[in-house]
Amino acid sequence: MDFKTTETAEATEVRLTGRLEFTDHDRLGVIAAVVQGARTQRFVIDMIDLEFIDSAGLGMLMILQEEAETRNIKMILRNLRGDVKRSIDLARLGEIIAIEA
Amino acid sequence: MAVSPLSLSDCRVLIVDDNEFNRKSLALVIRRAGITDIAFAENGREGLAAVDRFHPDLVLLDVDMPVMNGWEMCEALRRNATHEQLPVLFQTALDSDEEQVRCFDAGGSDFISKPIKPGECVARVRHQLEKRKLFNDLANFRERVQRELSHARAMQHSLLPESRRLTEVANRYGLTLDAHFETSSELGGDFWGIYPLGDRRLGVLMVDFAGHGITAAINTFRLHTLIDRFPMQHVAPSQWLAQLNSALKDVLPTGQFATAFFGILDMATDTLTFAAAGSPNPVLGTPVAGGAGGGPDLRLLDSAGLVLGASRRAQYADQTFRLPRGGFLFLYSDALIECPGDELGPLGQDAVPDFVRDALALDRQRPLRPMMDRFYARTHLPLRDDLTAVWIARRA
Repeated sequence: MDFKTTETAEATEVRLTGRLEFTDHDRLGVIAAVVQGARTQRFVIDMIDLEFIDSAGLGMLMILQEEAETRNIKMILRNLRGDVKRSIDLARLGEIIAIEA
Repeated sequence: MAVSPLSLSDCRVLIVDDNEFNRKSLALVIRRAGITDIAFAENGREGLAAVDRFHPDLVLLDVDMPVMNGWEMCEALRRNATHEQLPVLFQTALDSDEEQVRCFDAGGSDFISKPIKPGECVARVRHQLEKRKLFNDLANFRERVQRELSHARAMQHSLLPESRRLTEVANRYGLTLDAHFETSSELGGDFWGIYPLGDRRLGVLMVDFAGHGITAAINTFRLHTLIDRFPMQHVAPSQWLAQLNSALKDVLPTGQFATAFFGILDMATDTLTFAAAGSPNPVLGTPVAGGAGGGPDLRLLDSAGLVLGASRRAQYADQTFRLPRGGFLFLYSDALIECPGDELGPLGQDAVPDFVRDALALDRQRPLRPMMDRFYARTHLPLRDDLTAVWIARRA
């Protein structure tokens, strides 16, 4: 998985590409640092270019969500599609993380 | 990580040299560095015997000797797997490039040029001995971890229903029961179990903790102790999952969770009632009225639900389906649909009904074996995730 960060006046956004899975656990700290350094109250994870997410990847989203919550930042998942959308819907992550179409 | 300097006093060094003066002066040099356990040999052949007798940590080896020279001795050592890693330090007066390369070709670890410079000699000896110690420590550590992992693996297997128990339960309820379980990295996060609830009802549970390896395996042991805490007899599957969810939420750190399927087969009412928490969609098969002709009716069950351990507020829903005699339920963990092959992509969720149908065509009674054969034939090994597959059919 790779990601790119952009920061606007309204939101901090990371755009994920590739596959978010077990082997990406080391990258989690890097993204968590983006949340920690965010100067806005919105943290958007754009998944338009994400092809696959496994259970460990879902776990990483939960960790980021908690990281954001403790800083009063609203975390939003955006542009879910294909297998990624399917996995996130199956696990009903929408019940604990905000999802935008 | 800082490595504490190695004490040379525990190390054993063999000096092989045909010249008595050289043997003595080398011994003097290394004795000053703290090495006291020193043995001597006068040629390669004696040297080989001394290695077997003395078990040195390092050999200081002359090149030019009668009977068997140093290169020949070193080559003989390297042919023996036991001495493959033994540091051999050539001491040579031959200073041509070609001859020095010959020392490495023979399997030497390093060389020192004659005349011996005491400081350099001790530094090179120490370097080789430290490298050997690190290598041995690592090899020992690896061996210990392997041993412990295999013990833990046996323990984890003991959490799952044994084949004798499967037969017993299958006969009691008029079922065909087959299961397959394989972990990806010695230990895994998959778990499944069957729970008789009186004479006509049977509980079936499958759980998959996120990730795999030691953390996930520890969670399966946690789960095992929790299961007994919540009786299944008088609650709906959704309630039971909700209880399990709360208990797991208490013990799991954020980011660790499990998917689950919990169903109750009722042989008296011919139904399956289940609740799920994000497990892969199980396959339900029901015999088509009128029998003969085509195969059974296959459908993927909706198993969406907030994964266990993510939120205390999670709620689960019960769903009930007919599961008459001749019908079946196929449960599996996500490895079945997510592990890719060398040439093929992963099987994918939507292909599972056909996957089951093809296996039924090969073995109508026990299709799990052909399913696993086909899975392993198309999938890249070792598996990237744990695989559990359970086939439960009501006998016609």
